[in-house]
Amino acid sequence: MSEPIVKYNNVTKYFDDLMVLDGIDFEIQPGEKVALVGPSGSGKTTFARLLMTLEEITDGTIEVEGDYLWHEEDSNGELKPASTEHLRKVRSNIGMVFQHFHLFPHMTVLENIIEAPVTVKGIDKKEAIKDGKEMLEKVGLSDKADTYPAQLSGGQKQRVAIARALVMKPKVLIFDEPTSALDPELVGEVLDVIKDIANQGETSMLLITHEMDFAREVADRIAFFDAGKIVEDGPPSEILYNPQAPRLKEFLERFMSTQASPE
Amino acid sequence: MSFWDLIVSLLGQGLVITLLTTVLAAILALVLGFIAGLMRLSKNKLVRFLVSIYVEVFRGTSLLVQLFWIYFVLPMFGITMTALTAAVLAIGLNFGAYTSEVVRSGIQSVDKGQIEASIALNFTKVQRMKRIIIPQAFIIMLPNLGNQLIELFKSTSLVALITLTDLTYQANVLNATTLQTTQIFTALLVIYFVIAWPMTKGMKLLERKMTEGRM
Ligand SMILES: Nc1ncnc2c1ncn2[C@@H]1O[C@H](COP(=O)(O)OP(=O)(O)O)[C@@H](O)[C@H]1O
Ligand SMILES: [Mg+2]
Repeated sequence: MSEPIVKYNNVTKYFDDLMVLDGIDFEIQPGEKVALVGPSGSGKTTFARLLMTLEEITDGTIEVEGDYLWHEEDSNGELKPASTEHLRKVRSNIGMVFQHFHLFPHMTVLENIIEAPVTVKGIDKKEAIKDGKEMLEKVGLSDKADTYPAQLSGGQKQRVAIARALVMKPKVLIFDEPTSALDPELVGEVLDVIKDIANQGETSMLLITHEMDFAREVADRIAFFDAGKIVEDGPPSEILYNPQAPRLKEFLERFMSTQASPE
Repeated sequence: MSFWDLIVSLLGQGLVITLLTTVLAAILALVLGFIAGLMRLSKNKLVRFLVSIYVEVFRGTSLLVQLFWIYFVLPMFGITMTALTAAVLAIGLNFGAYTSEVVRSGIQSVDKGQIEASIALNFTKVQRMKRIIIPQAFIIMLPNLGNQLIELFKSTSLVALITLTDLTYQANVLNATTLQTTQIFTALLVIYFVIAWPMTKGMKLLERKMTEGRM
């Protein structure tokens, strides 16, 4: 088996006195698509934000391709907090798509997409534009290149956000409930784009979602979160059709009943 | 002198000084305001403390007194300057203090999601400030900056009191020689208004141009 691309080692996270993640061990293999499911407040977002370095780790370590994310080894081989340079270097492997898109409102769609390649990676602008346009085509928004985000639908915004993350060529891409802020009729177009990327790619994915059908289709593995712990972790068939943990069974039952109710 | 002659005479002698003072002081205020505003957001306590002293001192005392102090008191410590320099310095420092608050709150009111997106795209802090935060904050600040520019322009009438020959100074001179008090000061009023009004409109226009389709 190859080396995992992401490895959580006994990761704990507190917000003041509140323990949100309780000593989690977790791995993602290169190219693997992992869905995180679980009740609201169980720590999924925090778990992902630690990897994106949007929250600071309280205890434990996270490795990305064998490099510590939050730490650096000093000359004696002891772990110390990572320097900004180190953090940025390791972070460059990770990308994220947010529930609320967070597009740059003062830039056009194409500008949104080429901004980081040009500013952060120093890629030649012409080349970035070429890549950006290709990526826009992939997410089906070629005609929106010169539009400002305010004039897009939620589904279009999220597709731009996905394109913006992808042009940075992250090895791991995090999606935190990418369709939760969308009107129901716009969910499909975004999920389709994510499926496309999943099918094409060697990109590893961490997908936080409430869309169980989507998780089953896209994910190689589903991890069930409850109260700051991963209670069960396995292939979709096991997790969805043969759940073991009582909390997971309960979660799935409640889920099925709310899904069936509109009929 | 006819009302029209009065206006022409005032404009001919004072307009350039008033506008020059306005423009130079506004530039100084904007630069100081941005520097001080950014420093107020620094993680370093000492930096924040030092800037807060500047801001509080210049907001807590009157512009007129600051003007007098710079023009009449500093020479006693061997620092002399022309009336124009003193005027630009005093007004720039004073409005810079207010502008720093506008800058600080403008930057703070940019959606926090923008910072998160910038981190996720691996921007450095400086890149994030320059490319993402300040351009958006600037749009948020524009209405306030516009108001301040008008205030600053009007406040330049104080420089007449340190012998700078602006519009107000010329009106006083003219008043002493012709005694047409009503006409002169009415003319002065009209002139200030006719300059301020397009400034207000111009700022509104700029605001609209910058937000068009974006916000
Ligand atoms: N910045 C924060 N400060 C304090 N508590 C937080 C913060 N972010 C999340 N929490 C708390 O951490 C817990 C886990 O939240 P979260 O990771 O968002 O869960 P999930 O994504 O599974 O809904 C919740 O109890 C939440 O209230
Ligand atoms: Mg969440």
